[in-house]
Amino acid sequence: MTASSAPEVAFGVLPRADGSARYSHAGYTVLASVNGPIEAQRRDEHAYEAHVDVIVRPAAGVGGTRERHLEAILQSSLSQLILIKNFPRCLIQIVLQVENSPENDYVNTKLVQASLNFALMPALIQTAILTLLSAGVPMRATATVTAIAISHDKTIIDPSPRDVETARSVHVLAFTSQDDLLLAESEGDFTVKEWDDVYETAKKICCRPAPDGAAMQLDDDESSAAVGPDLRQFLRSMMESKVAADLHWK
Amino acid sequence: MPRDHEPSLNEKQFVTQALQENLRLDGRELDQYRPLELRFGDQHGVAEVTLGKTKVLARATAELTVPYPDRPLDGIFTISTELSPMASPSFEVNRPTETEILLSRLLEKTVRRSGALDTESLCLVAGKQCWSVRVDVHVLSHDGNLTDAACVAVVAALRHFRRPDTSIAQGVLTVYTPAEREPVPLSWLHSPFCVTWSFFGEEGTTALLDATWLEEQVRVGSCTFSMNQHGEICQIAKLGGVPVDAVALLQCASVSLTRVKEISDLVDRRLAEDLKRRDKGGFMAELRAENDR
Repeated sequence: MTASSAPEVAFGVLPRADGSARYSHAGYTVLASVNGPIEAQRRDEHAYEAHVDVIVRPAAGVGGTRERHLEAILQSSLSQLILIKNFPRCLIQIVLQVENSPENDYVNTKLVQASLNFALMPALIQTAILTLLSAGVPMRATATVTAIAISHDKTIIDPSPRDVETARSVHVLAFTSQDDLLLAESEGDFTVKEWDDVYETAKKICCRPAPDGAAMQLDDDESSAAVGPDLRQFLRSMMESKVAADLHWK
Repeated sequence: MPRDHEPSLNEKQFVTQALQENLRLDGRELDQYRPLELRFGDQHGVAEVTLGKTKVLARATAELTVPYPDRPLDGIFTISTELSPMASPSFEVNRPTETEILLSRLLEKTVRRSGALDTESLCLVAGKQCWSVRVDVHVLSHDGNLTDAACVAVVAALRHFRRPDTSIAQGVLTVYTPAEREPVPLSWLHSPFCVTWSFFGEEGTTALLDATWLEEQVRVGSCTFSMNQHGEICQIAKLGGVPVDAVALLQCASVSLTRVKEISDLVDRRLAEDLKRRDKGGFMAELRAENDR
């Protein structure tokens, strides 16, 4: 099966959760639910802010150290975005369930030992953001994320599992809607120069200005063909259509 | 985690009184299921079942392992169920609740103990190598009748699943990647499905199918029948609750059979549709490396 590269999202898939979204991009499908603000357990309770609880569940097998690592990364970046000071002693619970991840046809992977990697992270963060929006959790900003792999001096955006395997280094960068760097995670060998290039490319993908008139024409010429889908515009248009659908009764 | 709120006394009374008059809150007949929908993922072995507001995702995977020393000729087959906070915030991670244990036991009894999957065919080299097939059941949304939905999901996922093809030449085992050889289906013997009855009224006189979460909280007893479309009963579980008349149970069993036939037809139909969708250009028969049984 070929992985579709255009991002897709469906809101409100789970009727019992406060907010839910199913997001698929570059072959990854992640379903997420957000409940919150709800009552926190005594051990998670902070006197001045809400506790953000992120749970990542792999499609097959039980979660292990890798999932805990991803959860820790996600938790710290999402706490930056959510206005946690508004909800002292509360809990905002985000459950991310991986439904589909692209397979490498050339290797028989050990599936019972759940394999999660860097290429999955953009899908996880993007789903979390969309679900938080769907749940109406107040946030400082939204964010857009991208994964970039460098192999043989070539930059690959949204790498496939095979690209990740052969790549020298893989980077995940997230930018807020105010163009600030939110998250930068890298693995593998790379030089400072390479990282700078990755940063520039990622910024170009994540922080594309809203298309209006003149900017739109410029878009068609160079960037849109070279650097994948416009995630910020996608986020915006999806939210616009959701709000329009929600306010249908008015 | 916060506790799930129980229905209030008024709510409970309303539901039971309505049921005494043979009325359900969602207007269904007593022996009517909510609309059952089955969807397969892009990959093999992913099945999502929607039963009203209940949603269950099952995913089958296989890997090579060493068989258990006491069963050297059998492969390994496990079903794992974990209720995440996605289903309801009252479920905690890594702390199984009673619902979860009962659900996984019922699925084990229905699918594994009834011999639906031929575990001997999973063995490759006696005592040395075998396939370990694992089904992960993810409950996405819980609105009652988890057992029936999960059972459909597990059976559909296993029937949809394809494991990598293998060959043994001069004692050397080769496992082919999907790029080398088309993966092969598991050897599946029969498809058991669960049908859960809920009993209401002081002596359990009112019996209804496919209870919602609200009805499940109010019921006085339940009974799960597992059978295949030939009417062969795999197990009957009546765990506690009020005693129910034997004749009534017999009646339930016969109605269950018609429901099982309907579910079985749906699964067969969806599997055939999915096969057709994947068989682009009609090359699937030529790509197939397995022998007919």
